[in-house]
Amino acid sequence: MSQPVDSILLKDETWERVDKATGGAAAPCFQCGVCTAICPLGLVKGETISIRKMVRQAQLGLPGWADGLWECTTCLWCESRCPHEVNITKAILGLRQLAWKEREVPEGLPTLLWDIYFDGNTWGRPPSERPLWTKGISVKEFSPDDEILLYVGDDAAYDRRIQKVARALVAVLEAAGVTFGTLGEREPSCGDAVRSVGHEEYAAEIIDANSRLFQEAGVKTVVTVSPHSYDMFANRYPNLSGEFRPLHYSQYLLELIEAERLKFENELPLKVTYHDPCYLSRRNGICDEPRQVLQSIPGLQLVEMERSREDSLCCGGGGGRMWMETAAGERFSDLRIQEAAETGAEVVVTCCPHCLSCLEDSLSVVGKDKLRVLDLAEVAHLALQSQAVTSDAASGRS
Amino acid sequence: MTKSLYGAKEASGIWVYLEQSQGQLEGVSLELLGKARELVEGQRIPIVGVLLGDQVGGLAQEAIAAGADEVRVADDPLLSQYTTDGYAKVITEIILDGKPDILLLGATPDGRDLAGRIAVRLRTGLTADCTDLKLEEKSGLLIGEVWGFGGGIIAYIKCPDNRPQMATVRAGVFAVPEPDPARQGKIVNVPVKLAEKDIKVQVLEHVVGGGVDITRAEVLVAAGRGCQGDFALVNELASLLDGEVGVSRVPVDEGWASRDRMIGQTGYTTRPKLAIVCGISGAFQFTVGVEKAETIVAINSDAEAPIFEAADYCIVDDMFNVLPPLIKAVKKARGGNGGR
Repeated sequence: MSQPVDSILLKDETWERVDKATGGAAAPCFQCGVCTAICPLGLVKGETISIRKMVRQAQLGLPGWADGLWECTTCLWCESRCPHEVNITKAILGLRQLAWKEREVPEGLPTLLWDIYFDGNTWGRPPSERPLWTKGISVKEFSPDDEILLYVGDDAAYDRRIQKVARALVAVLEAAGVTFGTLGEREPSCGDAVRSVGHEEYAAEIIDANSRLFQEAGVKTVVTVSPHSYDMFANRYPNLSGEFRPLHYSQYLLELIEAERLKFENELPLKVTYHDPCYLSRRNGICDEPRQVLQSIPGLQLVEMERSREDSLCCGGGGGRMWMETAAGERFSDLRIQEAAETGAEVVVTCCPHCLSCLEDSLSVVGKDKLRVLDLAEVAHLALQSQAVTSDAASGRS
Repeated sequence: MTKSLYGAKEASGIWVYLEQSQGQLEGVSLELLGKARELVEGQRIPIVGVLLGDQVGGLAQEAIAAGADEVRVADDPLLSQYTTDGYAKVITEIILDGKPDILLLGATPDGRDLAGRIAVRLRTGLTADCTDLKLEEKSGLLIGEVWGFGGGIIAYIKCPDNRPQMATVRAGVFAVPEPDPARQGKIVNVPVKLAEKDIKVQVLEHVVGGGVDITRAEVLVAAGRGCQGDFALVNELASLLDGEVGVSRVPVDEGWASRDRMIGQTGYTTRPKLAIVCGISGAFQFTVGVEKAETIVAINSDAEAPIFEAADYCIVDDMFNVLPPLIKAVKKARGGNGGR
């Protein structure tokens, strides 16, 4: 810091552009730096990125791009500690929005947006392949008489690993006698990927089109596989009617358990730890529901990691990071798997496709025979299946 | 729109930039001459090659044999190495003198560099990285086919008003024409007005790196964690099949391979005719980068590995058991050639 710094000229015009793009989100910041101190990038990088500086940039309209602008996973840890309640991710996404206008975005992100534009999904796969996840089971088209619309999402529809989560969820919903359907090939991308890489205008178009689609289809309760879709529907779809009720599936499973429609009667002797997805816990305060679902399974033992609930450590996949490369040694999920292994759990359970992908990718760190990663829906499905084999599991446990 | 330095009425002929290095013409330059001949078939449109370098005049005859009617040679010691400054200055003057209607360059690193620079100087458009060229039927305008956005769309681009109509074309898109040593053509030496002070970059050393473009490989042999850093067999099989080596993320993380070989969501999307995937479990983030292959052969010791769901042929075994007999069989099938 001892080097002389050139003076920077502030321009009203730049300030106005930045202020508009960030919606003035940075204005309340008084530069205390808690955000930089808490940012989990400090756990994996020798020199952490300065969130404070980024916010300052947004505040003053400083020219140039802040270091680390694209490294933010929008995990919201900074905001959770900010004494002035600055909407820091809004400021960061606003700066990303300007980067799109200047065409200064990381390699691969334009392709992501074109994939969504042309194919309606983040994978660049044909829309006709969207219902392929249902292979071997039958899932009907949604009708307004159904209790819920199951919103599968791009990951569970296309990613073969996450498809298993969707199929497990279907089995659980069927066991509870829920009437549901999906939008099949018509199901759109929820817009989270677009929003999280900062293309606010395109995200607004997607939100508008999807809102109309949901209204025309007569959707009231929508249950999502991904917390990211849930967050979009719950917080960023302003034009839907009061009857529109978005739920993450962990919330819905708990409703089913409380209504005694979903019952786990036999034991599932498993020691598990639960990894809170940021988009459920910090962003939406949903920490209890998934845990209550787990605790309703007899025989299942839930142990906690030190960083849990609103203090969960991000998997590294949010904020568009799934479509950007994270250097080896800088992946939060490596740390997270280590933390999960230290609890002595056999399974780390989560309920977000991004978390599942990242955690499984990092599993090699501790070795696959010691730990498994499962989705909450898969654990629930396992628990239901254990009913079929009478109570052998329980008696064999002692 | 900015007006180009000369207009369509004054312009004529198809010009091809003849890129040379170390006394040899680049294959793509010959390919462009062949394509240019095909485009003008039956019409009286001259095809002119532009050759820059130091003592490169001997290559002009080769260009004529490949289809040029005329070659303009700028020979100067200051052009012995490619520099953006030197080459852009000289070729711009040659173009302003000759006023070509169309100017084609190979989409090589130097060709791409030069094309952008001269397009700006001439105030004209540039269709970069074409995968095909056509002439529009009535207007005779050049149409460049460009694959955009990771193969998501094909765009046809023309440059109706400004001249020259410029395009760069990737190597290997067109065939190298059969040389016709009997072809006659004119060789014109053009004066070079270039001083040392015009070149701001001094080339200290010319090193050709092992750059790869796995997105264009017809055969990919891909390896992951299962290879444990041992690429000997993988390399051997890839070169036997005239293919490239690709990798999943683990070899990049481990430092076994460079990122330009990485297949997948944060790497490259490939579409080879054949992909042999060895020791890669096949997370979808990898698979999505190879799924457009015509045929996928997967080799993995874990029968539950998800890669098998994407594969056309599945071999459940350690890659180190499978590759040696496979390599032997390929060599045998190649028979008398003794491999390559």
